[in-house]
Amino acid sequence: MSQQQIHLEADNLADLLLRAYEAAYEQGWTDGLPVIPAIPELVDRFVAASGRAGGGVIGLVPPRKGRATVRSAAVNAVMAGCRPEYMPLILAALEAMLDPAYPLEFMQVTTNPMTPFLLVNGPIRRELEVNCGTGCLGPGWRANATIGRAIRLMMINLGGALPGVYSKVSFGSPLRYSYICGENEEESPWAPFHAERGFAREDSTVTVFKASNFCNISGGEGVGADEILRQIATNMPPMYGGGDGVLLLIGINHAHSLHEAGLSKQDIRQRLWELARLPASHFAADFAQIETAAGRGDGASVWRARKPEEIYLAVAGGAGPQDVYIGAGMPQTRVVRRG
Amino acid sequence: MIATDTFARFGRRMAATQGCPYLVIAETPNPIRQLDADALRVRAEAMLPTVVDGLTLPPDEIERRMQDFARGQIRPEGVVRSSTAV
Repeated sequence: MSQQQIHLEADNLADLLLRAYEAAYEQGWTDGLPVIPAIPELVDRFVAASGRAGGGVIGLVPPRKGRATVRSAAVNAVMAGCRPEYMPLILAALEAMLDPAYPLEFMQVTTNPMTPFLLVNGPIRRELEVNCGTGCLGPGWRANATIGRAIRLMMINLGGALPGVYSKVSFGSPLRYSYICGENEEESPWAPFHAERGFAREDSTVTVFKASNFCNISGGEGVGADEILRQIATNMPPMYGGGDGVLLLIGINHAHSLHEAGLSKQDIRQRLWELARLPASHFAADFAQIETAAGRGDGASVWRARKPEEIYLAVAGGAGPQDVYIGAGMPQTRVVRRG
Repeated sequence: MIATDTFARFGRRMAATQGCPYLVIAETPNPIRQLDADALRVRAEAMLPTVVDGLTLPPDEIERRMQDFARGQIRPEGVVRSSTAV
């Protein structure tokens, strides 16, 4: 992204605000929603909050190979409506997405609407007010709305993934505006996700998944662990693009029910892996063959993940008999280092 | 490259990001998966001259022939977004 500047004038503030929005839209810098104009003074403030040098190169964003620097990330964070203190988290997520093991180029250009999903762990959730509880995947929370949006704006402005130009996405997805939440560690009966991956509990981390969908699973309240898991597994169908694993966000009610029944996270993974299977005859023959070749089928049935360890579990959301299934995999976790 | 027309411009843009803006692309109308072997053969034969050009023409000649065309495909003038592929 070149650091192009435009000069705007108007007779009054209302016209200036509208012109700023129109100009950004005409330049193709937005996701369609209004943006905060990234004036140099604001960008400087965001760079300073990152604790890094503005020119520091983080990597090249595919497919257009735009140079991601701290400053270009700051420009997009300003436009997205972020607070300056979000910058270390945004940069950590960007670094995770640019890891060679993360399929960012594929995600940017494919017809499938896959998108990054960000899971935030550790003290930074509270410091930045990343919503982990009630409504954590919905609107109304600035950190959740704008950090994910900054990620998408970088994918557009640095990577060039405008639909119809570099992106061949057929439908796109509302998840592409912002897809992020924190883990509800305070109400989880188990060790948090990042601790399971070898990080210290007091570490602040962001994990970026390749994600394909959102499926809220309702039901199963108060009927025991077996029924809860059966209900969840039935709503975890195999699907193209999600075939690398599952991220299950377990609601706090079910988390406590399962924990009280004596189940560990590994027990839940194993049980879901056994239950989340469907007859191969339910699918197109090609799909069933591909899944079988990938280790997720045996000719007679197709299942959701190659092994239980590809079912990733985190506790999130508020009270209620709800869980969320996300076809997701290839997680990349980074420690958020504050300046 | 062999592609259906729906993917040809996209293919050229992706090739340009890899340093090959003048990639020779043999196109056929989308879709093709419903075609039987005979119909597919007709399509393949129609693309053969382009394939042969790509394999035999010197790079300078390919560039001369493709320059304006490729520029228009990679960076369509004035277009920053489109609900139909550009």
